[in-house]
Amino acid sequence: MREDSDQITIVFNSNREGIPGTLNLCLDHIRQKAGTSPLDEDLLAKIKWVIMELLTNAVKHSGERETVLKIGLTVDAVILEKEDYGKPLVLVGQDRKKIMWPLEEMVRPLDFPIYHNGMDSLCVRTDESGRAIFFIEELAELEMPALLSDTSEHFGLLIMTKASDEFAYEHEPESGLNRFISTFYFTQPIP
Amino acid sequence: MILKVEEINRVVQATILPEEASLSNADAFKEEMITIIGKGVRLVIVSFENVNYIDSSFLGSLVVALKYAMPRNVDIYLVSLKPDVKNLLTLIRMDKVFRIFNNYEEAQGTLN
Repeated sequence: MREDSDQITIVFNSNREGIPGTLNLCLDHIRQKAGTSPLDEDLLAKIKWVIMELLTNAVKHSGERETVLKIGLTVDAVILEKEDYGKPLVLVGQDRKKIMWPLEEMVRPLDFPIYHNGMDSLCVRTDESGRAIFFIEELAELEMPALLSDTSEHFGLLIMTKASDEFAYEHEPESGLNRFISTFYFTQPIP
Repeated sequence: MILKVEEINRVVQATILPEEASLSNADAFKEEMITIIGKGVRLVIVSFENVNYIDSSFLGSLVVALKYAMPRNVDIYLVSLKPDVKNLLTLIRMDKVFRIFNNYEEAQGTLN
């Protein structure tokens, strides 16, 4: 573990047994950095959910490869980053269409619906650089929640998108680096 | 063994034993739930009293169990959820498809 003034880097070996210990390490760092201005419990709970899902995602999708988790605290935000060199992201949408990274030029920018549970539609928007920004569109409630039609790899993405203030994915084709970024903004800056 | 199970009059009380309901035990939970549902019970009350946190894998198993139960006319109720766990279920709208109660007694009260 490397530590500097505002960010730590934790190497996670992508095994499921390591999840609880790594989660606690991350939360301890955040609490310590928050110091005398402890974070709101609701915010900490959301951060915990996202770290859990990032680590679970690493176990499921990174294979035996190492995953690097970076946790940064600034005066106005907590920023979680998960980096690996595993397979780039592939998303399968509601109509079974796929998008995969690196994106071809012709499909940028793009809005892509991934999943809906009858009330929330999880979507991704790509920008000119190929960066994917996840967002939620609220739907009018259906009689039978569509939650039951899709049990899904998408719960994890849904949790991370709804819990974070911003949730994004980046892929660097030259190096093969994948990066998920989750940002939580403080309602009041830490003094 | 993920669940501690007691059955009275085709109503099963199934208490999740681990503190972490996660990727490490989601498949085992799903298999145990499917076995219980397959025995012809009418209601499974799942207690989360020991669970401090839950992840998407376990939530997925919970939904698989519900999908298996519905065509067999078996209900699944959830009880004794700690605030963090309940808030996560609510976040992804699972409170719309599961009936949630404070405890076993409250859940069983619906049977009268």
